[in-house]
Amino acid sequence: MESLLGQGRAAIGLICDPDTFEENQVGAKTFDDPDFGPGAMVGTAKLDGQTVTVIGNDAEAFNEKFPVVYAGIIGMEEAYKMAQAVYATVAADVAKAKAEKRAIVLIVDTPGNGPGKTEEIFGMNKATGAYQLALAEARMAGHPIVAMVIGRAISGAFLCHGLQADHILSLDSSFGTMIHVMPLTSISRIVKKDIEVLEKLAEGNPVFAAGPQFFHRLGGVEEIVTTIEDMHAVVAKHVAEVRACKVKDQDDALGPWGRGSLGAERGGRVVRPEVIALLETEMDAVAKTYLPGAA
Amino acid sequence: MSNWSALQNRSFLESNARDRALGLVDEGSFTEFVGPFDRRTSPHLETLGEAVEFDDGVVTGIGKIGKTPVFVISQEGRFIGGSVGEVGGAKMVGTIKAAIAFAKRIAKDFPNAEEDEKPIIAISFETGGVRLHEANAGLLAHAEVMDQVQRARGHVPVVSLIGSKVGCFGGMGFVAAATDVVVMSEFGRLGLTGPEVIEQEMGKEEFDSADRGLVYRTTGGRHKYIMGDCNFLVDPEIAAFRAQLAELAKLPRAKFAEFRRIGTSELVEKQLKGVALAAKMQPKDARDVWVHVGNSDPVELGSMPLADFRKVVKRLAL
Repeated sequence: MESLLGQGRAAIGLICDPDTFEENQVGAKTFDDPDFGPGAMVGTAKLDGQTVTVIGNDAEAFNEKFPVVYAGIIGMEEAYKMAQAVYATVAADVAKAKAEKRAIVLIVDTPGNGPGKTEEIFGMNKATGAYQLALAEARMAGHPIVAMVIGRAISGAFLCHGLQADHILSLDSSFGTMIHVMPLTSISRIVKKDIEVLEKLAEGNPVFAAGPQFFHRLGGVEEIVTTIEDMHAVVAKHVAEVRACKVKDQDDALGPWGRGSLGAERGGRVVRPEVIALLETEMDAVAKTYLPGAA
Repeated sequence: MSNWSALQNRSFLESNARDRALGLVDEGSFTEFVGPFDRRTSPHLETLGEAVEFDDGVVTGIGKIGKTPVFVISQEGRFIGGSVGEVGGAKMVGTIKAAIAFAKRIAKDFPNAEEDEKPIIAISFETGGVRLHEANAGLLAHAEVMDQVQRARGHVPVVSLIGSKVGCFGGMGFVAAATDVVVMSEFGRLGLTGPEVIEQEMGKEEFDSADRGLVYRTTGGRHKYIMGDCNFLVDPEIAAFRAQLAELAKLPRAKFAEFRRIGTSELVEKQLKGVALAAKMQPKDARDVWVHVGNSDPVELGSMPLADFRKVVKRLAL
């Protein structure tokens, strides 16, 4: 079976214009220490001739300083390195208009965040939190961010590297792509339901089953890409779509909030918008009693 | 429901989400949003034949401390470990969104408002993150909460309160780290990977999750205060968390950026000094770091009364 699992480096060449990837250079920032955050690949490439920042996982790298980092795991150095690449992107285009700000392409193939004791002592949550805030800031500053899932997009690592993008694309599951919090077998054990029962339920409700098609139904993935050859064109198309929305100040259609609306449209998450609307109504009803000077 | 005055001296650790929410703000000032009477329960738990809660395990609303409007999100660890699903996640997102809109309204309509008349957001975390019964929706909700936390910046400060049994782990560990201020009690725990999972990944000899001392040294309030991941370490009663919130509410809103640990390029560079230290030290135990930053008797530091700890402790300066 054809698959890009563990081949983030090869995927860069397939998604971006061939031979344009300049690793370790983003705007004015040079990443010159080869031992720093090796599980993260950052750099600059061209996509249909336009400059883009590329951030991906290197499944072949092992971080000798932090041995929990291998096979595409995002450790503390990796997460901060990815955040640095995002801030360098924002800095490079700070004076440019929205239509000119370079896109960020996230190539996603990561099984998790560093699960170690040292990581907890120093704050793994802080490192990945930093990367998410950087992406959210870049997104709000006008940079189109498109994530392309080529392999594993697992739980907290997907939250960190993917779910803050404007649009998320995924190769379909025939390429071995995995998007989930936990595989259904583990969920079955934890919620104490037979796997057969869960599989049957998943046909009608995509909310706990593993796979890009279920995230698509929930609005968590904008588009499924069905061939490797299509990735380049589909990523470029989404960069253009996202940019068009930003130029028109239609940011609400993008990012996590936009995927919320998409989830309702596709019938996968219909309660969410009702709850948010009800909360807004209830707040409006009492707002004046909390305004300055109210008794 | 408990008597408000009695709540003040109650342990934050032992209190449920609603009591914490009520006790944090002034008596009688709390309005709950999408409360139990609205009965917005999880349709996904129902599909699986699981018990539901009428508030889906999170209490959201608005109250006041003095003149300050305080938007409150309070998670209930007793309901499926405080896990976040579609409904609870939407309540969190909606509350932060409402707070941002309210702050913008005040900025526009009340340009002369005093600092303490401007809103703040308080999130009382008690969660391991995503609710596995509705894992995909829970994960997507986490990303939305993070997005709102970034949107809140510069409009309304977000304060994390961590002192409940389950601690604050998983994807919500990211969210807490991303807020402006982190307030903990020594019983609060903050991290990404819970102790059982580290043991499973690394082996019992590396991390024994049954060793309560080790667990608290690694992610507990005292340690996170030494590391700077926690800005304020308070006494374990609800009143102490409330008093800290009241102090924060009086501050100029611009001051909150100074409490941040992450969220700018400069802060990332600063945190990387900590990562370099981690690489150099390869600590076997959090106590190694305590000693490194100048605390000569780490065993005593971990066990002395909190008031003494706050007086003598040396903290990591990056």
